[in-house]
Amino acid sequence: MEAMGELSAKLREWIEYFEEAREVRRRFANWEFIKSQPPKLRVALEYFIEVGDLYNAAKLAGMSVEEFNELRIKAGIPSVG
Amino acid sequence: MSASAVADTSFLIDWARYSRSKLLFKLFDVVFIPESVLAELRSERTLTWVAQGLEEGKLAVLPELPDASREALQLVARSRRLPVRPVDYPEAYCLVVGRELGYAVLTENGGALAVRDYDPNFASVEVLRALDILYRLWKLGHVESFRRELEVYERETKRLYTARDLAKYGDAL
Amino acid sequence: MDEGKLREWVERLREAREVRRRFANWEFIKSQPPKLRVALEYFVETGDFRTAAALAGMGADEFVDFARFEAGIPLVY
Repeated sequence: MEAMGELSAKLREWIEYFEEAREVRRRFANWEFIKSQPPKLRVALEYFIEVGDLYNAAKLAGMSVEEFNELRIKAGIPSVG
Repeated sequence: MSASAVADTSFLIDWARYSRSKLLFKLFDVVFIPESVLAELRSERTLTWVAQGLEEGKLAVLPELPDASREALQLVARSRRLPVRPVDYPEAYCLVVGRELGYAVLTENGGALAVRDYDPNFASVEVLRALDILYRLWKLGHVESFRRELEVYERETKRLYTARDLAKYGDAL
Repeated sequence: MDEGKLREWVERLREAREVRRRFANWEFIKSQPPKLRVALEYFVETGDFRTAAALAGMGADEFVDFARFEAGIPLVY
């Protein structure tokens, strides 16, 4: 019972951590740059800001993870979480 | 009914335009999108739908699996020797993965639908069109009227189902 | 190989072409610049959106949207 309580506390901690990370990404992103991108890249960057998932964001963009990582740097989005 | 499905381009570019597209996840826990399908998508509408699905954990990207890829290419070549519309790689990949992993294949592609019918290697694959999805949603009580929902779908996507397509659901229409 | 099914599909796809031909907005299609006109005509005849998109220099979904919403070509198979 105690173990379950601990698990759920850990889970809550992680959820909060990821939510904070998303806030940081949103705050630092260069929205002007992002909105100027073609749809495929814009949607991928917005997805990355919301979720912090480099792998799927790269797939959405049709890029390698490395290429997309360079794009997110250009877009001012920090890699958090 | 499989708990997971794999969707090709022809299905996604319609379904993403359907106003009640989230109903798909009443039937499937996860819908996989092959990389080769994702690579073809460029419109904001479809991509936003996919991004939202990924965020909610309802969609997942299916990577290229070498064995499946190899067999898909063989299917592409084989289908070109026949006097019927050939199947392209993304659909072929969906069919192979559907068979190997037991996923339902979501497609509107004539070439893929035909393969399922005439090629015994794919006879076991569950292939579903939006028509079939809407019928099942109706049977499960998620939509009120199959006929009305189909009309909505056809109007929103400009996908037309022929009399032959609709014949199997005759009593429901 | 189920030859009966194969023949059935040849017929279905031929009927699909008739439907696309009948509903297409030919005035719109003929008013398009050559690249797009050829792509739309190819799509009406074959239903092959991929090649048509490549002919038009568009993404697959972009082309399908163009064909169905602007050129009035219904999607049948």
